[in-house]
Amino acid sequence: MSPTRLTDRRVLGALAAIATAISVAGCKKTENLPADTAAPAAVAPAPDTTKPAAAASPAINDAQIAHIVVTANSIDSAAGMLAEKKGASKAVKDFGKTMVTDHGGVNKQAVALVTKLNVTPEDNDTSKQLKSGGDANLAKLQGLSGKAFDKEYVDHEVAYHQAVLDAIDKTLIPNAQNADLKALLVKVRPAVAAHLDMAKKLQSSQTT
Amino acid sequence: MHTVTIRNFAFDPAVLTVAHGDTVVWSNTDFVPHSSTARNSAWDSKEIAANATWRYVPRMVGRYEYYCALHPTMKGAIIVR
Repeated sequence: MSPTRLTDRRVLGALAAIATAISVAGCKKTENLPADTAAPAAVAPAPDTTKPAAAASPAINDAQIAHIVVTANSIDSAAGMLAEKKGASKAVKDFGKTMVTDHGGVNKQAVALVTKLNVTPEDNDTSKQLKSGGDANLAKLQGLSGKAFDKEYVDHEVAYHQAVLDAIDKTLIPNAQNADLKALLVKVRPAVAAHLDMAKKLQSSQTT
Repeated sequence: MHTVTIRNFAFDPAVLTVAHGDTVVWSNTDFVPHSSTARNSAWDSKEIAANATWRYVPRMVGRYEYYCALHPTMKGAIIVR
C-alpha cells in the first residue's frame, strides 16, 4: 500500500509542482509535501543562472517544457503497452492500445517541432520525477494481474491525465514562449481531456 | 457531398442532415487516428489516419448514431432524409 501511494504522490507531486511553480515563484518555498524531497527542487530550477529568483521570471523554459511533454507521453505509452498485454478486460486492452497510438502521435509531433525549432529538450527535475514515478507505476503494475491490474491501471490513468491536464492549463501553456510550442500544447490538450474522460468512464464501469 | 471534420477529438458538426444518396466525408484533422463507427453496424470506417479522409453513402433513410471506436466518448449522428 505505501509504495503505491508514494509512487502516485510522487508523480502527481511532480505535476503539481509545475502547476504551482508560477504562483509560488515569488515565495521562498512551497509548503512541504509529505515524503517528497524532490518537489521543492522542481519549483526552483537551480542550474539556470540566467534567471534570478524574480517573481516575473518563468519557472520553466521551452526546452524544459518540450522535455516534459515527451517524457509525459512516453510514460503513458509504456503503461499503455503493458495494459495492452496484461489487461484483463477488452476495454482496458483497447484503452491501452489507444494510449500507445495517441501518445505516439503526440510525440511524433513534438519531435518534429523540436527538430524544426532546433531546440534540444532539456532534462529537468519535473521530467526526472515523472520518469521515476512512471517506472514505479510500471513496476507495481507488473506485479498485478486480472481485475487488480485493471483497477490499478485505470485509477492511475485517471489521476495521471487529470494531473497532466492541470499542468497543461496552469503551467505549460502559460509559460511556453515559442508560438509553435504553445500551439502544439493547445492541440494536445483535447487528446488529454478525451483520455481523461475515457479513463473516468472505464473507472466507473469497473466493479470493485 | 457533406463533410464532417474531426477536430480536437470531436465530430463537427456533431449532427449532420443529408439527403438520401448523398456522400458523407469524414476528414480527420487531428494528429491521431479516429474512426466513424455506426452503433447499428451500418458502417465502420476502421482507423482513419491523421490527415486522412473516409467517405460513405448511407443506404437507408433514418437517424444513425455513430462514435469513434478508438475514443468512445466522441459521438455524432447522421440523419438521412
